Amino acid sequence: MIDLSRLSATQIRDGIVDKLFTAREVTDAAIERIGVLDRQIHAFNQVTKQLAYAAAERIDDAVASGLVLPALAGVPVAFKDNMYLTGTRTTCSSRMLENNESVYDCTAVHRLLEAGTIPLGKCNLDEFAFGSSTEYSAFGPTRNPWNPEAVPGGSSGGSAAAVSGGMVTLALGSDTGGSIRQPGSFTGVVALKPTYGRVSRYGCVAFASSLDQIGPLAKTVEECALALNAISGKDPMDATSVERPAEDFATGLAEGVAGLRVGVVTDFLEAEGCAPEVRDSILAATEVFASLGAEIGEVELPSTAYGLSAYYIIAPAEASSNLARFDGIRYGHRAEDAEDVIDMYMRSRSEGFGPEVLRRIMLGTYALSAGYYEAYYGQAQKARTLIKRDFASAFERFDVLLAPTSPTVAFGIGERMDDLLSMYLSDICTIPVNLAGNCAISVPSGLSPSTGLPIGLQIIGDHFAESTVLRAAAAFEAAIEFDPTPPLVQEIQYEATGERKRRGFRR
Amino acid sequence: MAKDRLASALERWEAVIGLEIHTELTTLATKLFCGCPVEFGGQPNSRVCPICLGLPGSLPVPNQAAIEATVLAGLATHCEIAEWSQFHRKNYFYPDMPKNYQVSQYDAPFCTDGWVEIDIEGDGGPQRPDRDGAYTTRIGITRIHLEEDTGKMIHVGGAEGRISGATHSLADFNRAGTGLIELVTEPDIRTPEEARRFAQKLRLIWLSLGISDCNMEEGSMRVDANVSVRTRGESEFGVKAEVKNMNSFKALHDALAFEIVRQAEELESGGRVVQETRHWDAGAKITSSLRSKEEAHDYRYFPEPDMVPFEFTEEWIETLRAVLPELPDDKKKRLMTDYGIPAHDATVLTGEDLAMAEFFEAAVTIAGAERAKAISNVMLNDLSMHLNAAGISLAESKVVPSMVAELVALVEDGTISSKQAKEVFAEMAETGDSPGAIVELRGMKQVSDSGAIEEVVDRVLAASPDQVEAYRGGKTGLMGFFVGQVMREMGGQANPKVVNEVLAEKLR
Repeated sequence: MIDLSRLSATQIRDGIVDKLFTAREVTDAAIERIGVLDRQIHAFNQVTKQLAYAAAERIDDAVASGLVLPALAGVPVAFKDNMYLTGTRTTCSSRMLENNESVYDCTAVHRLLEAGTIPLGKCNLDEFAFGSSTEYSAFGPTRNPWNPEAVPGGSSGGSAAAVSGGMVTLALGSDTGGSIRQPGSFTGVVALKPTYGRVSRYGCVAFASSLDQIGPLAKTVEECALALNAISGKDPMDATSVERPAEDFATGLAEGVAGLRVGVVTDFLEAEGCAPEVRDSILAATEVFASLGAEIGEVELPSTAYGLSAYYIIAPAEASSNLARFDGIRYGHRAEDAEDVIDMYMRSRSEGFGPEVLRRIMLGTYALSAGYYEAYYGQAQKARTLIKRDFASAFERFDVLLAPTSPTVAFGIGERMDDLLSMYLSDICTIPVNLAGNCAISVPSGLSPSTGLPIGLQIIGDHFAESTVLRAAAAFEAAIEFDPTPPLVQEIQYEATGERKRRGFRR
Repeated sequence: MAKDRLASALERWEAVIGLEIHTELTTLATKLFCGCPVEFGGQPNSRVCPICLGLPGSLPVPNQAAIEATVLAGLATHCEIAEWSQFHRKNYFYPDMPKNYQVSQYDAPFCTDGWVEIDIEGDGGPQRPDRDGAYTTRIGITRIHLEEDTGKMIHVGGAEGRISGATHSLADFNRAGTGLIELVTEPDIRTPEEARRFAQKLRLIWLSLGISDCNMEEGSMRVDANVSVRTRGESEFGVKAEVKNMNSFKALHDALAFEIVRQAEELESGGRVVQETRHWDAGAKITSSLRSKEEAHDYRYFPEPDMVPFEFTEEWIETLRAVLPELPDDKKKRLMTDYGIPAHDATVLTGEDLAMAEFFEAAVTIAGAERAKAISNVMLNDLSMHLNAAGISLAESKVVPSMVAELVALVEDGTISSKQAKEVFAEMAETGDSPGAIVELRGMKQVSDSGAIEEVVDRVLAASPDQVEAYRGGKTGLMGFFVGQVMREMGGQANPKVVNEVLAEKLR
């Protein structure tokens, strides 16, 4: 059996091209691993065996016919379960959409599949992507492969855990306030939120339209770059996607950071609840950049202090409108025996949505109400403008900015469910980037000395400066040689090979 | 509605009317935000896609042609075109709305501050005691914006398809997402006739632009009215009612007439008008309360984040202005200058149906400009009466421009009398045969030979000695009697001019 967790996307493709193994064997390995791990981890809402083998067959046929294979041929991938893919249900981990069959394809999903990837399934998330731990899934939480008692982060926790656990090589997540980067950080994988408009949002169930962006998670920077190559670019189906000159994000990754102007965001290091070990790790990362020849400076983004507040007005406001369509009329959960249409709306929605969804719909509805609009939504938009200006002026002085991805490492399952503010605070360093529309990547910067859980370094770039961000991330990745394989996975591997007895999970 | 009740109400009360007119952009190939075709009818839910069904994850992409159509509408109605504009979401729940919000415009519409002039002829006068007969008035346009249309609900099990008593409802989303322009007027309209004329004028402007088929019965043009009354001389507005469900220009007029009288009489009897929405029942000819505004929605408007704002450059606006077609006002002026027809004729020819002016110009091209007035006369009288009596449009009529041109020529060269022309018109309208063929077939040629006429005149005079004596004694009014006798004898085919001349000679 192929050990997927040790093969990069490029190695998989090359192995298939060189006939070291077939796409079918790669698929077998992925399915085998999901079978072993996912009962414990619950990264997947649905495993798409049939779709996977059909895709593998197309790749193996292409090899047999001597055709040139696309860039990600045979690479096992998974999609956050808020992206439409025909042949799968798109549930958003909600009772509301439990039986929602996809009737069309999400553009980013389609593009990634066009690049030759093998679709293994749909990954768990916080219901409708509202959350930071994947505990708000109607189908149960996803666990962190580094420690099953810890959350994987969220809302793309399933995608992050699937990659971290080596069940797939690449996964797509969506990031509205940190939902790709924060789980990437919690599970020790590389996670990229592209610039707003870089990747089409078509076919990804909207949370907050002005903030949402699809992006990749993988174990290496290069794989994220290859995935971005596949999924980015103007989409005629998304009016907010942007036409840009063609770029190959995977070239130039090895060019290094000598002379790169790197700004350390002091506000984020001093952010509320930023753990000393996280702070230390980021400062150590800064030293690494300095040692690689980057020019280091400090930068303040004073308006980002309003980021969390502005976000929790704007995102729920847009969400309250985006989720209005789930009314039981055309699709989704419909309450039985309603008295009239209003009763049907109220009961279908009360039954179909979980607590966090209901909370944010109420919050957003209130914020948009007549008489409150200016005080809430209007003010939040002003704060957003100030935050954009902060970033814009920072990028006059710096090429990339460094910050923690999240102020802490992964917290325990259930730990923050009764303390919403602490849950919301785990996105305090990522949210401002969404508000400003910039791109940012989370790369592992080491393990927490106290818990052994991964810490994430966030590298923030200017609008459409993904190449720079990826190059900086690749240089850092090469310098620190972080091993992204979690102990849980190592144990299971040893067990599978009979080298070592399984010791039970770390508690 | 008895006209005198309205006239009497309007003597004491001034009506204040503003219109909200929704027009579907039916001539566009596709809906506003997706590629589904725009058509009327068809199997329910046969022209839908993830976007116009509002499926999760789908996104709107604005149809450039719809934006151009809206800006053209604004240019044609003297509006200012916004340099910067955007869509907003109007949030409310209704089963015919796939997303439970409508993509519309709020505080940044494409077009603002325009106007349209209307000409009120004849019977509009009495509704305005402060105006003397025919007049022209300018109606201000507050705004024109673009939005998406909703689907349609079909209520099953209740009476006449109404929702009350229905056991269930079906939703058809074929119409959902069709581009819809909403025009709002200033409260400048004072009479039902002005409202009707404004709506008709607007329809002609939209038809000239080719942006819609403006079919009120099919609902591609929908007129709602806000109406209130106040005592004459008062400057404050009264409490208004919004009247809906007026599916024709006549319905618009009649519903407003009813509503003005209702409000006036309510106030006169010591009652009060409540702010509410009222439904026009064209069968019963009454408006009835639909819902009270007290339950008004909070639409929670906010900028549509799925689309970027629009920036319209002066150059772009000018390229659109350059392709504006000839509009009804310009056409009216041109018909008056080019063909020398009176203002009244030009107003009628350009005031109700685009096809009238086209017909007129086609007939004049055939008959020659010197016969323009004669053609206009036939169109304003015979043709209009025929269309009204038959209840058909010009396009549906068998009468074509060449027939009217030929008819006018036959009268002018003396082949037939104008009285005969009326018979010929009636027959050609009935059969579609050419006037020449009808005249030929029926032997209707007019007798202008004075010899033949003299013979008959002599006979008539000989048979009526008393009348001849009376005439000669000064009762010159008997001339008509003699002419009538001669014409009857000659089966109506005598040239009346010659008959008159011969009679005058003989009776001298």
